[in-house]
Amino acid sequence: MAGSNEVYANESRTVVPLNTRVLIHNFKVSYSMLRRQDGSFDRHLSEYLERKVPANAKPVDGVVSLDLLLDRPTNLLVRIYLPAPAVSGNELPQQALLSALQRPPSPDPFPVIIFFHGGSFAHSSINTTIYDILCRRFVTLCGGAVVISVNYRRSPEFRCPCAYDDGWTALKWASSQPWLRSGEDAKLRVFLAGDSSGGNIAHHVAVRAAESGIHISGNILLNPLFGGNGRTESELELDGKYFVALDDRDWYWKAFLPEGADRDHPACNPFGPNGVKLDELPFPKSLLVVASLDLTKDWQLAYAEGLRKAGHEVNVIFRDQATVGFYFLPNTNHYYEVMEEIRSFVNSNC
Amino acid sequence: MPKDAIDTNPLVLRNTFAMGRHPYHPQPTDEDSSSASETDTLLAGVGYTVRSSDLLNVADRLEKLDSTIIAAAAAGVPPEFLCSSAVHYNPSDLASWIDSLLTEVPPQSSPSMWMDAVCLPPPSSFSIDAHRLGEEEDAGIRLVHLLMTCADSIQHDDHVLARSLIDEMRLLLPLIGVGYGIGKVSIFFLDALDRRISFLPQPTKSVLEDEILYSHFYEACPNIKFAHFTANQAILEAFNGCDRVHVIDLSLMHGLQWPALIQALALRPGGPPALRLTGIGPQTPKVGLRLAELARSVGVPFSFHAVAAGRLDSVRVKPGEAVAINSVLQLHLLLSETGPIDSVLTLIRELRPKILTVVEQEADHNKPAFLDRFTEALFYYSTLFDSLAASGGGGGRVDVGCSAPAEVYLQREICNIVCCEGSERVERHEPMGRWRVRLGRAGFEPMHLGSNAFRQASMLLKLFSSEGYGVEEVEGCLSLSWHGRLLITASAWRARADSAVAPPACHRYIVW
Repeated sequence: MAGSNEVYANESRTVVPLNTRVLIHNFKVSYSMLRRQDGSFDRHLSEYLERKVPANAKPVDGVVSLDLLLDRPTNLLVRIYLPAPAVSGNELPQQALLSALQRPPSPDPFPVIIFFHGGSFAHSSINTTIYDILCRRFVTLCGGAVVISVNYRRSPEFRCPCAYDDGWTALKWASSQPWLRSGEDAKLRVFLAGDSSGGNIAHHVAVRAAESGIHISGNILLNPLFGGNGRTESELELDGKYFVALDDRDWYWKAFLPEGADRDHPACNPFGPNGVKLDELPFPKSLLVVASLDLTKDWQLAYAEGLRKAGHEVNVIFRDQATVGFYFLPNTNHYYEVMEEIRSFVNSNC
Repeated sequence: MPKDAIDTNPLVLRNTFAMGRHPYHPQPTDEDSSSASETDTLLAGVGYTVRSSDLLNVADRLEKLDSTIIAAAAAGVPPEFLCSSAVHYNPSDLASWIDSLLTEVPPQSSPSMWMDAVCLPPPSSFSIDAHRLGEEEDAGIRLVHLLMTCADSIQHDDHVLARSLIDEMRLLLPLIGVGYGIGKVSIFFLDALDRRISFLPQPTKSVLEDEILYSHFYEACPNIKFAHFTANQAILEAFNGCDRVHVIDLSLMHGLQWPALIQALALRPGGPPALRLTGIGPQTPKVGLRLAELARSVGVPFSFHAVAAGRLDSVRVKPGEAVAINSVLQLHLLLSETGPIDSVLTLIRELRPKILTVVEQEADHNKPAFLDRFTEALFYYSTLFDSLAASGGGGGRVDVGCSAPAEVYLQREICNIVCCEGSERVERHEPMGRWRVRLGRAGFEPMHLGSNAFRQASMLLKLFSSEGYGVEEVEGCLSLSWHGRLLITASAWRARADSAVAPPACHRYIVW
């Protein structure tokens, strides 16, 4: 496929702004150096190359953030983003932040978004800059949401279901915090959100929530990662174009799924032959964003179909001529229109 | 800990309570206004510096690199082998990063550093009674609030209020476990505040005590080892191809940094250089002899020279030798208003070093306003104490005098930051961003620490330290982090070619 790569490169030139192209292409190239044929991963080089940013108690564009260790045995860290709390008198920002974490339920409802970053289960962390920026955006977009970004354990060091367990731990923690509750009924108005592998995690945590009686106001899935043993039309047609190849998709599934499992494992293919029936469960409404130039789009559309057949509401936002990662830089209509859809979804379901 | 209970430990709010600017928020600098080329702001916002005018070029070169990788893979050389010998530098500078990979990188066998195996105690589990957690959390957070309010009152010279707050805080202490966590570190800060307004004299220090505490701190956590190891890797690389080398250590102490370098030099392909080591400052007896013994046993020609503290001016450099000057947690001691930082940096430059390694705490404890300084320190040392506790280096209940020596070592720093002013306040930690400016002004330019140093630091941390430590690369420097919070940063520098180095007119007696 070496020669054909050049043809496809020309295609991506026309649909993606130049700086987005540089960004996503850079990820593609650097990631290719990290995956080893034997299934291991160059974690050290990966951490070296990732661009990161620390949490910041000082408001930046009206948003503050802090890191919290939720579970020491698994080193589960979350980064919490919230609107900068009002500072009274001579209070330092840190004092205001501490007070905010201890306040009782607020009478005015606000959404809590538990966010799972992408990276095909292997890359990125809560402090990766692209995701820090995205989470900060969500805070202001949704009129003052609290966003909790979860630093789930990554593969290949930690396979399925570690990431799901970590998501579940974060959700339970959020349920235990009075300051995250709001409205007349002092409810936790929580949304599960994620891009790529994060979207996959959001789905599975939502299933667990539904099984356990924790109410989720909505799921927001951005190009969620699903797959299966079969090869779909979009996978074959878009393989190697627009920054993503089937080979790497296969590698990441192999690294994430339990040893010996194939891609019809329910973690990868929730509505496949080994899928779990969701019909009777109070599964939340979903907002599903699909990019037409994402080679996994057929699986995402099949996911939507699976939800509908099980009687659950799903709103599919199909972006024509969008590639993976369009939501990292605010330089296309895709970005702004999808953000607006998210805002609207959160507001109407909060 | 019951399986479903969540050890939230919100007391780890101390985690990363950074007060800095958002690192990637565009800030006007002198450089920006004078430079003609603009960087793409959106890419800068996500951590990559690319000139707008260069974007197309970079995109094309990325494609070329991608094609090369794909073609090689098709020919049977997967990327992991193609790029295995590549050393990466400063990934934010995309253009350079891509170019360095595009050029043929001959497999370089850069000698690697192997630390002496140090056995650390296994990480202790943090068992807090789940029931008590609620009231302890509240009391802990209230204590932190009160500490900051007290510091504020001291800043406003309201010692009456400060005294009453201190009394109130002492009443809170029984509600908080003082054997660990925020209770323990708060007590140190509380005592320091008390000391400050009681005008108690600083406890007398003995050099022997200093050395003992330092040595315990060295063992208890990876901070100093990280400093040594990372600096050594940079020095080793700078000494590549040189057969006479001279290391000047600004603070020798027990000389713990040097056995590993001596051993690495011994194993250097092509044979070891002749090594001169000049150790400045307080040092344990016979440290020079011990190092000489080690060097002899591994076949490194070695000579040692001890220099009294503050006498960098008396160090002599021989023509033809490559000089490395090493400063681990030393430069910040020179930052008081009357401090000799500028003359010391000039002296360093005059020695024409091939490399200057600078390791400093990644914290801002030199802010002029007391409250700012106090707050920064409170959260920084909370993180440090947390890391010590997890590494098993924490002691018992501090109120009955069971602090581990490593904690007492840190307590000294806390006391200095909180109680002292003027020339007595020597623990004037500044973040690497400010050192970068200062060193730039003094005629130095950065030498980027690369992915090989990062990888080795990362591997050694994994092997010898508890979970929770990490390494991060920022602008060519490497930092040790605890749960994402940067603790200490290692960097390397060389004199800029264009910087004028005046011949020393006279040697000044530097006291520090």
